[in-house]
Order: sequence, then C-alpha cells, then structure tokens
Amino acid sequence: MSAYVEFQHVRKIYHTGEVEIVALQDVNFEIEKGEFCVIVGASGAGKTTILNILGGMDTLTSGSAKLDGTEISFLNKKQLTAYRRYDVGFVFQFYNLVQNLTALENVELAAQICRNPLNAAEVLEQVGLKDRMKNFPAQLSGGEQQRVAIARALAKNPKLLLCDEPTGALDYNTGKAVLKLLQDTCRNTGMTVVVITHNQALAAMADRIITVRNGMVEDMRLNEHIVDVADIEW
Amino acid sequence: MIKMKMLQKTTFREIRGTFGRFFAILAIIALGVGFFTGVRITTPAMVHAVNTFLQGKQFYDYRLVSTLGWEEEDVEAFQQQEDVRYAEGANTADVLFLDEEENEIVLKVHSLPENINQIQLEEGRMPENAQECLIDAAYTELSIGDKISISEMNEEDTTESFKEKNFTIVGTAYTSYYLNYERGTTSIGTGNIDGYLYVLEESFDLEYYSEIFIRFNQDEEIYSEAYKEYMNQKLNFWENLTQEQAEKRYTRLVNDAETELQDGKEELSDKRKDGEKELADAKQELDDAEKELADGQTELDDAQKQLTDAKTELDDGEKELSDAKQELDDAEQELNDAKTELDNGNIELENARQQLEDSEQQLTEAKAQLDSGWEEWNTSQQQLQAGQQQLQVGQNQLDTAKQQLTQTKTELNAQEILLNQKQAEFAQQSEQLLAMWEYLPEEQKQAYQAGKAELESAQTQLETAKAQVSDGMQEIQAQQAELDQKKQELEAGLTALAEGKAKLEAGQAEYEAGLQQYEEGKEAYESALIEYNAGKKAYQDGLQEFEDGKKSYEEGLQEYQEGKQEYEDGLKDYQDGLAEYEDGEKKYQDGKKEYQDGLQEFEEKISDAEQEISDAEKEISEIEKPDTYVLDRETNIGYACFESDSEIVEQVAKVFPIFFILVAALVCMTTMSRMVEEQRTQIGTLKALGYSEISIMGKFTFYSGSAAVIGCILGYAVGTALFPQVIWMSYQLMYMPMNVEYLFDGKLALLSLGAALLCSVGTTWISCRYELAETSASLMRPKAPKAGKRVIFEYFPFFWNRLKFLHKVSIRNIFRYKGRFFMMVIGIGGCTALLLTGFGLKDSVAGFADVQYGEIQVADAEASLKSGMGTELPENLKTLLSEQTEEYIPLHQSSWDLVTKEKVKSMTVMMPFGEMNHYMNFRTPDGEELAFPEVNEAIISNSISERFGVNIGDEITLRNEDMQEMHVNVTGIFENHVYYYIFIQPETVKAQLNETPEYNTIYMNFPENADIYQNSAEIAKNEKITLVTLFQDSAKRLDKMMESLNYIVLLVIVCAAGLAFIVLYNLTNINITERIREIATIKVLGFFRKETSAYVLRENVTLTAIGIIAGLILGIFLHRFVMSQIIVDMVSFKVRILPMSFLYSIALTFLFNFMVNLFMEVKLEKINMAESLKSVD
Repeated sequence: MSAYVEFQHVRKIYHTGEVEIVALQDVNFEIEKGEFCVIVGASGAGKTTILNILGGMDTLTSGSAKLDGTEISFLNKKQLTAYRRYDVGFVFQFYNLVQNLTALENVELAAQICRNPLNAAEVLEQVGLKDRMKNFPAQLSGGEQQRVAIARALAKNPKLLLCDEPTGALDYNTGKAVLKLLQDTCRNTGMTVVVITHNQALAAMADRIITVRNGMVEDMRLNEHIVDVADIEW
Repeated sequence: MIKMKMLQKTTFREIRGTFGRFFAILAIIALGVGFFTGVRITTPAMVHAVNTFLQGKQFYDYRLVSTLGWEEEDVEAFQQQEDVRYAEGANTADVLFLDEEENEIVLKVHSLPENINQIQLEEGRMPENAQECLIDAAYTELSIGDKISISEMNEEDTTESFKEKNFTIVGTAYTSYYLNYERGTTSIGTGNIDGYLYVLEESFDLEYYSEIFIRFNQDEEIYSEAYKEYMNQKLNFWENLTQEQAEKRYTRLVNDAETELQDGKEELSDKRKDGEKELADAKQELDDAEKELADGQTELDDAQKQLTDAKTELDDGEKELSDAKQELDDAEQELNDAKTELDNGNIELENARQQLEDSEQQLTEAKAQLDSGWEEWNTSQQQLQAGQQQLQVGQNQLDTAKQQLTQTKTELNAQEILLNQKQAEFAQQSEQLLAMWEYLPEEQKQAYQAGKAELESAQTQLETAKAQVSDGMQEIQAQQAELDQKKQELEAGLTALAEGKAKLEAGQAEYEAGLQQYEEGKEAYESALIEYNAGKKAYQDGLQEFEDGKKSYEEGLQEYQEGKQEYEDGLKDYQDGLAEYEDGEKKYQDGKKEYQDGLQEFEEKISDAEQEISDAEKEISEIEKPDTYVLDRETNIGYACFESDSEIVEQVAKVFPIFFILVAALVCMTTMSRMVEEQRTQIGTLKALGYSEISIMGKFTFYSGSAAVIGCILGYAVGTALFPQVIWMSYQLMYMPMNVEYLFDGKLALLSLGAALLCSVGTTWISCRYELAETSASLMRPKAPKAGKRVIFEYFPFFWNRLKFLHKVSIRNIFRYKGRFFMMVIGIGGCTALLLTGFGLKDSVAGFADVQYGEIQVADAEASLKSGMGTELPENLKTLLSEQTEEYIPLHQSSWDLVTKEKVKSMTVMMPFGEMNHYMNFRTPDGEELAFPEVNEAIISNSISERFGVNIGDEITLRNEDMQEMHVNVTGIFENHVYYYIFIQPETVKAQLNETPEYNTIYMNFPENADIYQNSAEIAKNEKITLVTLFQDSAKRLDKMMESLNYIVLLVIVCAAGLAFIVLYNLTNINITERIREIATIKVLGFFRKETSAYVLRENVTLTAIGIIAGLILGIFLHRFVMSQIIVDMVSFKVRILPMSFLYSIALTFLFNFMVNLFMEVKLEKINMAESLKSVD
C-alpha cells in the first residue's frame, strides 16, 4: 500500500525561449492520508512548482506523482481540470475571491460544480462566518476573506487541501487564526492538508515537514513534537 | 532628453504588448472617420465630378428663346457682349420617327453644337453628312447602323423643317444637356420623349434658329453661391437685351419683307411686259410658217397628179411587154418541140433502115441452114437402119450360145449327183477299213488307196467342168448387156432423128413468115422518109419567123425600162418634197403648242405672283411682336434634379456619423481609463521618480493619439475613396455614366483628425486626470477592486431565485460597469440598427416594383395605339383583342402639368373609358378602397400628395401642351409607387375644354395559363398598335435597376460588422484583462473550458441581446429617416421592413458576436493559472 500522496523522481524543466530552467531536479516524498504537511523552502526553491503539479495546474517533465493511487503526472488538460474540480481544494495567498459575489456565493461557486459538495452555509458557519455570509468580499477583512477562501475549498469536499502561503497577506494574529482553522480542519475532518510556505516556524505545527532546496527535497521527516498553533511564534 | 527616450521606449513597448487594445482604438477611429468622411465627401465628390464634366462640355448659362426665332445676326450681336464666351444658335424639334420595323419612336432632334453643351461620343463616329445622326446612348432600342425615317404622322411644319427624311445612325452619345434619364414630354406620339438625336445643322431646312445658347466667361462651380450670385447680376440686363434683340429681328423681318414685296411687285410688272412681247413675236412667226406650209401643199398635190398619170402609162406598157414576151416564149417552145420531133423522126428512120438490112441478112442465113439440116438428117437415117440390122444378128448368136450352155449345165449336175453317191459309199468303206486298218492286207490297203485317188480325180474333173460352164455363162451375160445397150442407143438415135425433122419443118415455116414481114417493113420505111422531109421544111420557116418577133420585143423592153426609170426619179422627188412638208408642219405644230404653253404659264405665273404678293402683304401685316424667354440652368431637368439628388446623401451624412463618433469616444474612453488603471503603480512610480505630470500624461496621450492619427489617416483614405464610388454606382441608374474622381478635402481631413484626437486624447486626458491627481503613495497601493453590488433584480426574489447561480454572476457583472454597458448597447445597437436600415432600404426600394405591379397596377399589359384613333376601335382590332385577351379597356393617357404655386410638374393623367377595377386597385395607403372620381373630380397618387402638398378636397390645376387648363377636385389619394398618376373621367375634359379625348392606350388582362408573351406579340402585330408593354417586364426592369442598391446595403453591412467587431472585441478584451485573476482562479477551481468561457462570454451574449433590442427600435426610426431623405422623381418607395430583414439583422449581429466570442475563447484558453497566485498589481 503506497502513500496517499507520492512524488517519485519528479523533474520539471521550464523552457523560456532557448533558456532551460530546471525548477525541480529530482523530487521524492510521500504524505499519508489525514496528515497536516508543511512544505517549506526559500523563494525559488521549487515549492510553488510542487504546488502547481500537485494542484493539477501544471504538468511535470518526468517522474511520477500520485494522489490516492491516481497517477496525475500525465493527465491531459481536461482530466487535469476534472482532477482540480473533484480532488483538490485551493487556498490562495491573496484569497482570490470573486469580488462580485457574496461570501456565500463565493463558496457556492465552488460547491456547485462538485459531486458531493458540503452545504455552503454550514461550511461558512464552521469557519466562523455565519453572520457575514451575505457580505461581498470588499466588505470583509483579510482574515475573513481567507476564511471564505478556506470555506470555498472545503465545500468542494476534496481529497486534498492545498494552501499557498495562506498567511502571506495576513497580519500575525489573523494568520495564526487561519492556521488554527486549517489545523482544526485537519484534525476534525481528517482532511489531508498541505501548506506551502517559506516560513520555517510554521513547520512546528505540521505532522510531516518537507524541506525543499534547489529543486530537491532536502529533508523529509515526521514531526515528533507537534506544537499547537497558538504556541508558535514567528 | 534621456527620460523622454525611456518614456518613449516604454510607450512603444506598451503598444507592442497591448496591440489588441491599440488596434481597437485605431480601428474604431478608422471606422468612424471613414464613415464620416466617406459620407461627407460623397456629395462634393459627385458635384465635383458633374461640375468637371459640365465645365468641360461648356454647359450653357442661358438659353434664349424668342417666339420669332433667331438669325445669325442675333447670335453675332450676343457674341459681341463682353462677358460672353460663346453664343451659339441651335435648332431642335420633337419628331415622330419610324424605325425599320415601322415602330413609332418619339425623339427630340437637336442640331449638333459646336462649343456649348458639347456632346460626348460613346460609340461610332460623328455624323458627316445630312443623312447621318447620333442617337441617345441611353436609348438602347436603336443601335449604330439602324435607319430611321421621319413618320408621315408628323405635322407638316415638322416634316418641312428637315432636308432629309431618312437618317442612318452612325454613333451614340451622351450630352451635358441631358444629365439624368429624363428626356421630357412632348405633344406628339405617346407624349413621352424616348430619347434625343443629334444631326448636323445642315440637316435642318430652316432659315432661323429656334434657340440661342449663351456661355459666359466664367467657370464658377455649379450650384455654388458664387455662381448663383454671378447669374443674379446678369438677369435683368439680359432679359432686356434679349427682348431688344428680338424686336430688332422683328423690325428687320418686317422691313425686309416689305422691301422684298416691293421688289417683287416691280419684277412682276417687268416680267409681265417681257412676257407679252415675247408671246407676240412668237405668234407672228407661227402665222408665217402656216402660209408657207399651205403653198407647199399645193405644189405637192400637182406633182402627185403627174406621177399618177405616168404610173398608169408605165403600167400599160409593162402589160403589153409582158404579153409579147409570153407570145415569144410560147413560139420558142413550139419551135423547140418541132425540132425535137424532127430529130426523133430522123433517128427512127435510120433505125428502120438498119433493121431492114439486118432482116435481109438473117433471112439469107436461115435459108442456108435449112438446106444443110435436111442433108444431115438423111445421112443419119441411113446409118440407123444399118445399125438395126447388125443388132438383130448379134441377138440371134447370143441366144444359141445360151442354149448350149444350159444343156452342159444340166449334164454336169447329173454327174455331180453320181459322184456324191460314190463319195458317200467310199466314205463308208473307208471307215470300216480304217477301223481294221492294221489287220488289212497290204493289197486291200492299196485298193483303198487307188479307189480313193480315182474318186478324187473325178471330183476334180467335175469341178473344172463346172467352172467352164459358169465362165461361159458369164460371158453370155456380158454380151447380152452390151447388146441391150446398143439397142438402146439405136432407139435414142431414132427419136433424135424424128425431132430433127420437126425442127427443120418449123424453121422452114419461120423463114417464110420473116420474109413476108421484111417486105412489109421496107414499104413503110419509104413512106415515112417522104413525110420527114416535108416536116423539116416547115420547121425552118417557123424559126425564121420567131427570130424576127424576138428582135421587135427586145426593142419594146428597152423603151419600157427607160420610161420606168424616169417615173421612179419623179416619185423620189415627190416623196422628198412630202417629207419636207411634213417636217415643216410638225415644227409648226410644236411651235404652236409651245406658244400656247408659254401663254398659259405666263398667265399662271402672273397670277401666282399676284397671289404671292397679296399673301406676303397679309403675312407682313400678321407678324406679331416677339415674346422672349431667358432660361437659366435651373430649367434644365438634369441639372436641377442632380442638385436635389446629391443632397440626399448629405442629409444621410448628417445622422450616421454621430453614431460612430459616439461609439469611438466611448471605446477610447473605456480603453484608456482601463489602461490608466492598469498602470496605476507605474504612474505612481514615475511620479515618485520625479517625472512631471505632463510627461506621464504624454505617454498615454501618445498611445491613444498615435492610434487615432493612424486610424484617422486610414479611415479617411478608405472612406473618401470608397464611399463616393459605391454611392455613385447606385446613382448610375438615374444619371448618365460618369466617373467620380477622388476628391481630397483638406478641411474635412482636418475636421476628422480633430474629432479623432478629441475622442482619443480628450478621453485619455480625462481618464488620466483622475489618477494623476492622487498622490504617488496611494497610486502605488493597489486600488481596491470595485465592490460587488446588488442589482435591482435581486429585489425580485421570484425572478432572482429562479436564476442559475452563474447567471446571477453575469447579471451582476453586466451592471457593474455602467460605461461599458452603454458602450456595448450603443455599439451593438448601432450595428443592428445599421443592418436593419440597410436591409430595410433594400426591402423598400426593391419591393416597390413588386407591390406596384403585383398589387396595384394588376393589369397584365398595356398597348399603345397609333394616334388618330378617335373613340372607336377598328373591328379587326376588337376581334383580335377578344381572341387574345380575357378583357381589355381603352384609355386616354397623356402628360399634363400640375400647376402649383411653387412649381410645375408633369403628371400622367389617365382617363379610362369604362370600369377600371380589374386593371388597377385604388386603395389608400392604409388599405381602404377608393371610389372612382366623378366628373370634375380626380384621384391622385400618394407620391403627388406627399411631394406637392396636395390633399383631399384641394382643387388642382392641370395644363396641357396647348396651355389649356383644367380644374379638378381631389377626392382621393391612392397608393401608387411608380409615376405620378392622376385619374379623371374622360367627360371631365369634354365638360371643361369641349374636346373628346381619343383612345391611345389599352389595358388588358390575359386569360389564365395563357402564354402572355405569345399573346402580346400577336396583338403587337396589329397595324394600329405601336407597342405592347408587359407590366411583368416593367417590374423586372425596375427590380434590376434597383439591384445597384445592393452595393449600398453591402457597404452598410460591412460598416455594421466592423462596428460590432470592434466594440465587442474591445469590451471583451478589457473585461478579460481586468478579470484575469478571477478567471485564473475559476480555472483553478476546476471550471471546464466551456464553463470558463460561458462564465465570461455570457455577459457578451446578454449585452448583445440588449443591444439588438435597442438597435431594432433605433433601426426602425433610422430607416424611416433615411427613406424620407431618398427622393427619386416619379417613384415613391414602399417604406417597409420585411420580417426577414429583422431576422437577418438579429442573426448577423449574433454571428458577429459569436465570431468575437470564438476569438476570445482562444484568448481565455491561453490564460495561465499561475496568474491566480500573483498578487494584485
């Protein structure tokens, strides 16, 4: 029985004109179901590329990437879209809410295209925005917007929740709250959560820590001392 | 300077990077400018083209007409005026021609001009003699090489004004004098002029000009104010001048006539004197001749008498001579006969003598022969007797010998039998002996042998004897035969002897007879000889006598011939004299005749001359003082029509461009404000770096300004080149072919450039101003996205809750940006409105012919009758019509002028003789049935009502060619699209003018299923029918003419498409760039391709739908407006838009939308999802 998420010898090369840029040289890691995983690395280390591949937004050059036993490395465009649609939930650094839709509608936007969506209102309630459902994004604070974003991702009932620097645009406390929400979600619903960040400090709260450098996995380890979000300082 | 360079660099990069946006501004400016300048330049370009043409052909300024006509002297007088460039006399006449098939054609004949109103030869060559002509190039029924002749039906004046009656067409031409298709009306034929004809001046047989054309020394543009002003100054002076000149001509005419009359009178009296003298001389001469002739006659009679006497004498002489001749001939004949007889007698005598001598000789010879015969006979007798005795002795000897032999023979036979017995015995013994031969003794054997030999010798002896007997026998027989022969010979000799004796006796008798005959002959001969000698003597006497007679005859003949010669000479003399006399008499008769003719002629001439003089006197007294008219260019139909026709485009030009300018401004505004928004950070940065606001603004200004300038140049070039050509093409159906040259209008170019810059730079400046007002710091902060907002629909839960979630999103988005919404609605609406107008234009223009001939003028055909028909059709035509048509109705159709306060316009007045219901439907434009008017009432076409402001209840004045006026009350206005029709009762004319209109037209309906071409051809064969027109053909022809409108419709469609594309593209483009993160996010969320594009483009479709609805409403009004501006003479269009056109307009707009969407989908596809990860910038 292989792992829930599995990268084997993943290599990614970008071609820009005549220049070849090796984004990932040889990436190998695995993540177990229900784990809270943090992928950490400096800018340009290749963590965004890993996110793109894992999120079905980009293809890889060689190697193998699997989610729940499904090989995603060589899916075509349409299959990739379906993969994103049904299997992955995304949380962006800048929330990426549709400005023209209310909080609830933003969640519904994602929910309505899924097979087994969760109730949008309930999910919003879960993330603590019961009272702000009818508000437009412009009327919400950053943290609240990120919660809506998380709710939008969760409502899809995905196999994997991918978060790209979820706290990058938030202040310290709000960031913490968001992280707490993610951790709780993982704990309470058994959702596999992958957080991508450059912030080493966040690694402390993860079940599994994957460190990326120069397009290679420098280190992958299980965290033996899981720290609660509230106790993390950065 | 360096900073400017860097700024320029970013600007160029910006243009390259956002070329779609740059191009959108460029294109909308180009489209707007193109349409605006194109439509604007069309009228000036057309006027310019016509101006060039007219100036080139020296189009006239004044046409001077006098009721007395003009002379060369008048032309020269006008030419003397300082401001006159050309003055030229011309002749013209409306003439009914017949072509080679005897069809009537009404042509306006002009004399070929020299300088003014020059013609433009299209094909063929110029006429070179009085029998050649040029035909109207627009009149296609006749072509080069055809021959036409002036019809007998013309009035005498017309026929007489031409030297030639037959013309050959040698070329086709257009002329500045007839710019458009109208050729005017006339009082002859059908009333409609079919075309013009140009002939040489010398083809006319006139001493005067019917009009003089004046061209001033000016080249002002046609229709221009300057020209109008110039002409205004001339008018009074020229009116006076013309009148003066005409009066001069009048005085000249009267004086000349009087002088001429006086001269004529004098000449007459001189002539009369001369004539009388001449006649008297002739009379004298004739009398002398008569006397001479009488003398001659007497002389001749005498001569004749003498000759007759001589003739009688001669005849007697001749008779006598011929009798003598006869006698002589008879005598000669007789003599000859006698001579012959004598000669014959002589020969006979000689023969007789010869014969006698021969007979004597023969007789002598016969005597001798007889004597020898007797001697011979006696010898023969003795010989025979001796022979007879000898023979008897021989016979006896023979008989004895024979007896002996027979005896011997018998003996022999007995011996033989004995021998035979002995032989048989011996044979028996020998057999026995032979059997016992060996046993026999030798003697016996010898015995036998001796016996045997004895026997054998006996045998031999016997046989020898036998043979001797037989020989003897034979000898006897031979001697017997010899003896028999001799006996026979002897008998023959005896017979011959007897015969010889008989012969001899006969010869003796013959001889004696001959002797007797000889004696008789000798006697006869001698008597004949005597007779002969007597005849000979008589003959010689007769011969002598004959020769004497002959001599005297010859003398008589000589005498006669001399007399005859004399007579013939006399006769010849007489005949010569007679001939001479007859010639003299002939001459005399001729002279007499001549004299009488001369006398008569003299009397006639004198009386004619007297008549002429009195006519001339009368004529002079009747010459009226002249009326003159100074007619300017405005009275030329082509010139006047073109001015109003060309203004149509100008009218349209005022409306259309507003759209394009508006849309262009909106497009620039949205585009630039979006651009400025996008570049907020950059503006802030530049500002922070210390760039001035002006230089920052310069970047955007350059961006939009350069797009505007390029677009403006492009649009101006294409628009001004294309529009006049396309629109002129559609004008070609009414005007003569002419080329429209490219016309550059600097003012228009500047104006359009100004408008373009105002649209682009102006809007840019407004957009920039907002942003630049902010501080650098706030500029560098991302601008808060425009907040989401509830739209009004959300307050209607019933509606809102039923919407699909994504539709709600679209609706919110649509109403989020008001500017874009309006830009879209105006752009798309404009597109749809343009399309609808274009299609509607086609429906209205193309369809009017079908409506006219399918619903209003429902008769199948119209036949024109020859003039002079009266009000009764000939029987054969009636029969023909009842055979070939289902029904028919005779009408009178003629041109009358409708006289209103403002203008005079030619109308077609129809007077049916009967019920018109089956041939024409009279309905108001609203579809109500109209009753046919009563006497003194009229119903009129709606176009007359609309164009000349005539309404029900008005009294209108109609004027015919003879200036007679009729007044009728308008009781109805009916829908009619072709021609200005006025229907009245024929009785109205009778009541008001006391004239009965004659039949000149027949309307007819053919039976169903009939071959109408066949039937109409049959009818056209009738000699009273000049032409049969099928209305179906007219409809087709009109439709075909209107096909040129397709170009305009196409032009409109292309512009509309351009508008739609640019607006849709630009908006969608802005929308996408603005929402790129949102779209990327949606893609990350797992929206499929179609869902993504639907999410974005649904808004486009919705906006397009709204735009279409607005466009359809707008289009209906636009169409009405355009139609109201298009006025074509005699035609009123059916203002309508067919349902199909609505469908086409909607479908085409959606099609454009669909095409832009397809394009945009590709663009959406290219959006990278990584965009979603970027921060807001």
